[in-house]
Amino acid sequence: MDVLLTSTAEAFRLLFSGNPEIWEIVGISFRVSSMAILAAVPPALVIAFTLAYGSFPGRRFLISLFNTFLSVPAVVIGLTLFIILSRQGPMGDFKLLFTQTAMGLGQFFLCLPILVCMAHVSLQAADRAAWETARTLGANRLRAFFTVLYEIRFGLMAALLAGYGRIISEVGASMMLGGNIAHYTRNIPTAIALETSKGAFAEGIALGIVLLFLAFVLNSLLQYVQGKGSINP
Amino acid sequence: MIENFRIGFRDISKSFGSNRVLEQTAISIASHDCIVITGNNGAGKTTLLRIIAGLEKPGHCEISLDDASPEPWRRLRKRLLKSVMYLHQQPYMFAGSLLRNIEYAARLNPALADRESSVQKAISWAGLDGLESQSAASLSGGQKQRVALTRARLCHPQILLLDEPTANLDSESRERTLQMLREFRDSGTAIVIVTHDPGVFSDLATSKLHLQDHRIQADDIGAADVVELDSVRQSKKR
Repeated sequence: MDVLLTSTAEAFRLLFSGNPEIWEIVGISFRVSSMAILAAVPPALVIAFTLAYGSFPGRRFLISLFNTFLSVPAVVIGLTLFIILSRQGPMGDFKLLFTQTAMGLGQFFLCLPILVCMAHVSLQAADRAAWETARTLGANRLRAFFTVLYEIRFGLMAALLAGYGRIISEVGASMMLGGNIAHYTRNIPTAIALETSKGAFAEGIALGIVLLFLAFVLNSLLQYVQGKGSINP
Repeated sequence: MIENFRIGFRDISKSFGSNRVLEQTAISIASHDCIVITGNNGAGKTTLLRIIAGLEKPGHCEISLDDASPEPWRRLRKRLLKSVMYLHQQPYMFAGSLLRNIEYAARLNPALADRESSVQKAISWAGLDGLESQSAASLSGGQKQRVALTRARLCHPQILLLDEPTANLDSESRERTLQMLREFRDSGTAIVIVTHDPGVFSDLATSKLHLQDHRIQADDIGAADVVELDSVRQSKKR
């Protein structure tokens, strides 16, 4: 118990003293995860929209496939991309392995299915008349697309927050693809794993507090957003 | 005013899986028309409107504009979406205020010279003054119907399709809706109404059609339409 208390006290001291190493790790985490989710949002929306409004052979299969990807472990995505990006792999010439780009790629593929599935559910729950009204008023496909997205914005925000929460805290893919290189690819979860293995609990707890705080902020945002979309006036 | 036009939809067929809804039927619509279509539930009335609006892909359909030779529905779909407007039985209101809903339609019509004053005029025309900032979702059924017709007025469609426009409306809202439709018809817009209560539109209608056995049957149809429909059927037999 003493270890936990002293480590937690030390963790707060590290955080509030502005320890540059800790905040650098936090910065790397936020930068890589933010880039990954920003890159994933446009294709995810297009895929979700096509799955919800399109009519083509294999549609149901694709929906099942994306739902299956929801439960793929991060290490499996990490392993697959590791093979593809390694020197012998098909994309070995790009020398992306153990870079922030590789970590971002891993996180991209981790959050894509979450964004697709949650956006798809929101679109299916939305009234199809929104799309038809926009079209019959003369909106082109792109305009009608954005109109419908605005109509389901609360569901999309929830998808975004869930996706971000997933990738900022994942360790498997980041460890395999980034290599946990100090000052470069060491993010919050990989740093926690490393510090714990070294017995440096204070640093691990400090980073854990940042993750917990982030989870709290994301959930509070989600509650606020969902509250705004409440059916009760 | 809408310029005079005539548009013929012929050889319309549509099935949902093994359920045949429309089979080689036809309809001709001209400016100033007000066509009332009746039919039992599931007869295909709404499907027919949605095909005319460009929203539902038919199994087969050919369209002739004025005297031009017929073209496939697929080729003219964009034009249908631009010039035909379909109003759902329960008009869809976008999120936000009544004003946002009406401005949305105004923004889609580049021909509007002064958008702001056009929007205000249209709101007054529909008797919706004072409700601009009210949430569109909280409007009554009659008010939503008027918002939908106001949006239509700002888009100047050649053809206005209405699916049960007076269902669930009280007599005052119904009268107001009829008056607004009359103004559309007088300005040259063709109106096609699907209803179970054709008597409501007896003063407005220029022709009445009945959808039965997957086909449009002439009920109390205008002479021009009889000729059009008959010629289509003759050509099919040949």
